[in-house]
Amino acid sequence: MKGYLALIEINLKLALREKSVLFFNYVFPLLFFFGFGQLMGAQSGGITRVVTMVLVIGIIGSGLFGAGMRAVAEREANILRRYKVAPISPAPLLVASMVTGWILYMPSVLLLLSLAHFYYLMPVPDHLFSLLLLIGIGSFAMRSIGLIVASVVNSVAESNILIQVMYMPMLFLSGATIPITGLPAVAQIISQFLPASHLFSGMQGILLRSETISQNAVATAALLATTCVATLISVKLFRWEKDEKIGRSAKLWLLAVFLPFLILGSYQAYSRENIEKGKMYERAFRQSRTRLIRGARIFVGDGKVIESGGVLIKNGKIEEIYDGNVPDAGAVNAELVEAVGKTVLPGLIDVHVHLGASGGIEETQKDYSPKAIIDRNLAAYLYTGITAVKSVGDSIDESINARTRTQLGEKLGAELFLVGPMFTTDGGHGTEYFKHTPEIVKKQSMDQFIRTPKNAAEAKEQVNALAARKVDGIKAILEGGVAGMLFNRMDVSVLQAIAQDAHAVRLPLVVHTGDAKDVADAVAAEADGIEHGSARDRIPDEVFAKMAKQGVAYDPTLTVMEAFTQFAAGNTELLDRSLVAQTASPNLIKNTKKQINSPDVGKMRQRMKDYPADLPQAGDNLLRAYKAGVLLVTGSDAGNMLVLHGPTVHRELQLWVQAGIPARTALQAATFNAAKLLRAEKRIGLIHKGYEANILVVDGNPLQDISATERISIVFLKGERIDRSGLFDQQ
Amino acid sequence: MADNVISVRGLTKSYGEFEAVRGIDFEVDKGQVFGLLGPNGAGKTTTVEILEGLRPRTGGEVSVLGFDPAVNINRIKDRIGVCLQATNLPEKITVREALHVFSSFYSRTTDSSKLLKRLQLWEKRDAFYGQLSGGQKQRVALALAMVNDPQLLFLDEPTTGLDPQVRLEIHGLIEDLKAQHCTILLTTHYIEEAEKLCDRVAIVDQGKIIVHGTPREIQAQTLGHSIIDMHLSAPLPEGEIPATLDGEKLILSGDRRSLNVSSSKPTRTLVELVKWIDQLGIELLDIQLKRPTLEDVFIELTGKRLRE
Repeated sequence: MKGYLALIEINLKLALREKSVLFFNYVFPLLFFFGFGQLMGAQSGGITRVVTMVLVIGIIGSGLFGAGMRAVAEREANILRRYKVAPISPAPLLVASMVTGWILYMPSVLLLLSLAHFYYLMPVPDHLFSLLLLIGIGSFAMRSIGLIVASVVNSVAESNILIQVMYMPMLFLSGATIPITGLPAVAQIISQFLPASHLFSGMQGILLRSETISQNAVATAALLATTCVATLISVKLFRWEKDEKIGRSAKLWLLAVFLPFLILGSYQAYSRENIEKGKMYERAFRQSRTRLIRGARIFVGDGKVIESGGVLIKNGKIEEIYDGNVPDAGAVNAELVEAVGKTVLPGLIDVHVHLGASGGIEETQKDYSPKAIIDRNLAAYLYTGITAVKSVGDSIDESINARTRTQLGEKLGAELFLVGPMFTTDGGHGTEYFKHTPEIVKKQSMDQFIRTPKNAAEAKEQVNALAARKVDGIKAILEGGVAGMLFNRMDVSVLQAIAQDAHAVRLPLVVHTGDAKDVADAVAAEADGIEHGSARDRIPDEVFAKMAKQGVAYDPTLTVMEAFTQFAAGNTELLDRSLVAQTASPNLIKNTKKQINSPDVGKMRQRMKDYPADLPQAGDNLLRAYKAGVLLVTGSDAGNMLVLHGPTVHRELQLWVQAGIPARTALQAATFNAAKLLRAEKRIGLIHKGYEANILVVDGNPLQDISATERISIVFLKGERIDRSGLFDQQ
Repeated sequence: MADNVISVRGLTKSYGEFEAVRGIDFEVDKGQVFGLLGPNGAGKTTTVEILEGLRPRTGGEVSVLGFDPAVNINRIKDRIGVCLQATNLPEKITVREALHVFSSFYSRTTDSSKLLKRLQLWEKRDAFYGQLSGGQKQRVALALAMVNDPQLLFLDEPTTGLDPQVRLEIHGLIEDLKAQHCTILLTTHYIEEAEKLCDRVAIVDQGKIIVHGTPREIQAQTLGHSIIDMHLSAPLPEGEIPATLDGEKLILSGDRRSLNVSSSKPTRTLVELVKWIDQLGIELLDIQLKRPTLEDVFIELTGKRLRE
């Protein structure tokens, strides 16, 4: 032990007397730090990445070169030979070298973190200890690799080559210089075999996503395993004298050292977990930038309007709102987004979609992949500035998975709220879709999409089971249909039970209704939202008064009513809207237009004709609901014929304004009110300090011309300025 | 046997086909300075490194301080001091730091201040190793070999590559150690060094000890004769050589005033010669006795010079 300490002490002293050591440990990282800092706009949010990059570059460099080259140089200079006659094994020399490297590097780490914090305003990491521990382990691992290199080479020149061979890929493929997401696919796979990649991704996780070291246990364990294996092998292969040469085959020992990473890399190459994680870090990084939107009209969401002001976005949240004078971007360390003549709105919300259906006529069902189609649809919403949607009837498994993907930032798309399966009754609306499903898969598919409780007890069990899967709400269907399209109507006592059960687990219940009686019964059952209301009946004013009193939301889904009428008439003009063309797949549009007059589709169109969707009636109901002071929300029922996923809310808003609703009210319904129905009004739906920076910037003034919402300038999601054109090419 | 610090019996060491050591036997007693003398490549260093525990042996028995180096390397290393050929220290380590580091490896240490003073390094204690002269570096190496107050000191070619002045300086230090009854195993290819410093010497060539004993014994054992040179005031008269000088080889110079006698019993021959000259009434102007060197012995035994 005495020997270990004495060696560490002298190593430190010697290192501090060596200008090159100081240069590589301190000056070099600082140059990189400020260089990258200025280059990557560290002041406005890039700092966490800059810090990670510089630290990882430092760890690789000081580890490989510091430990590896020095050991060989000392052997060549006959210094190690002197230790040979002392009663020690190589272990103290090797361990002292690793510990010294770590001790020398740690102050540099602390210096960089402090500079990042004080100069570039990086927040103090939540798990600083985890970060330092991981850096320490990484530093040990790299030094141990340096030492094993020293053990298997015969000269300084040889070690130089071998170290470069390892250093270069680690430098360029680990994420330390080029983001992994920016690398070609092959390079992404290669990177999974490099210890530095795992170090980098662990540090990113801790810094960007507030992870702990235990959440990066596998990478940490691999780094530790490498350290142990390399140290043991180095002790074994240690040579004190330059005259003791080692065979070429000894270089194979390097493979043993990399073994943990060969295993980890193979697993990652297969699972792509880390590559996905890399995307999330990239996402978190993009979300962390500070931006100042200046000069815009601001529609706050709750009805208030700031005629000219600014919004400061920081770390994914709205940091500050300015009315009138907006500070200089430099003064708040932000990137400027000039928005004079534009309007800033909270991201729009569609509370009624079915993500698994396309809304058009597919050429073939052969390649149908619910995962792909749901991801694409969520991307289409985001493209048009709809930053949140509520799926009111989709495969529970698929929608939960999609929600996870967007939540983690793995896929970029609108935030997904979901109910999973719809509650209906045997023979009720919703069951007709499964009439022709083959028996083998029938039960399984129905289980994904619908619930048909026979009584209150069953309802309770089913609601609780869904709550356990963390659905965001419950949806029930209460409709008997019309002549020619009749359904069994859910027993009102069951609906009441569902409402009570949903409220018991704090989930909002929305009820699909067809006629005025359905609406009255749903309101009586204390539903939280009425979907569709009625497009065939006049809903009595008393019902609206009651809804206003109870705070029940009204979602008229005028879009689907209009679309049904158009579809029945064989009219495809709705597909010609510019934003539809931008978001829908060209084949879908082409095929829908082609097939709409075919005999097969003709039957469907005939049935639609029997199902009256009276747009003026629906508009009248909406107008009176507005006058009664009902909480209005916007939904489209996208996924139904001619309601393609994408610019749904925009069309809904236009139909509302046509029905006589003031633009300001309509926009509030599409933002703050919708957030209320989603029970998310404390974090989205408003331009308000502390809210998530989900922002839509449009050209012009939608308060005067509602169609301005379609003239999209910029979309922000959780602070990330969305590259809209890249949304449909996500890997 | 209690005084036996090193005992080597039938030691062999092969590197593949090549036999570097081919059956060596010797013993070193406590307090003795033992020299292994031989040309480069004779197997001296290999032998010593086996004793130091740095190399495994191929065959034979070895005991160092009562331990077998193949079994108790670290016990031996802990108790011995070694001054290797051609070792270095980092340029920027100070003398004192070097001593501190190396003393941390041993279970027993000596007072390093005293050691530095004794080796005349006290003034240089805070100097960087890189700034020291060759002699100072060699003294540092000696100091490092002695940080554990060793029971046995190995000096492998301690003066090789040093200039004559420094060599004398190091010789002085070794003589001091000798006076303090240190047990030392010294290898060298300098004859004078072995003659001057060693109590006993073994001459090694091609992996074997060709002769060993005290330097004097070795000289005596050989066929080599001492040479007696005499210079006289007057020419030697012609006539009989005394019977007592029979069997000695006498060479007389042309003027009969110089006499060169080669003798295997030089002391006796000298007395007889002086007696004879005195009887003749001739004055002895000068007399010189030249003993054979180890080099002479080596040449005689191997037919080649030590340094070739």
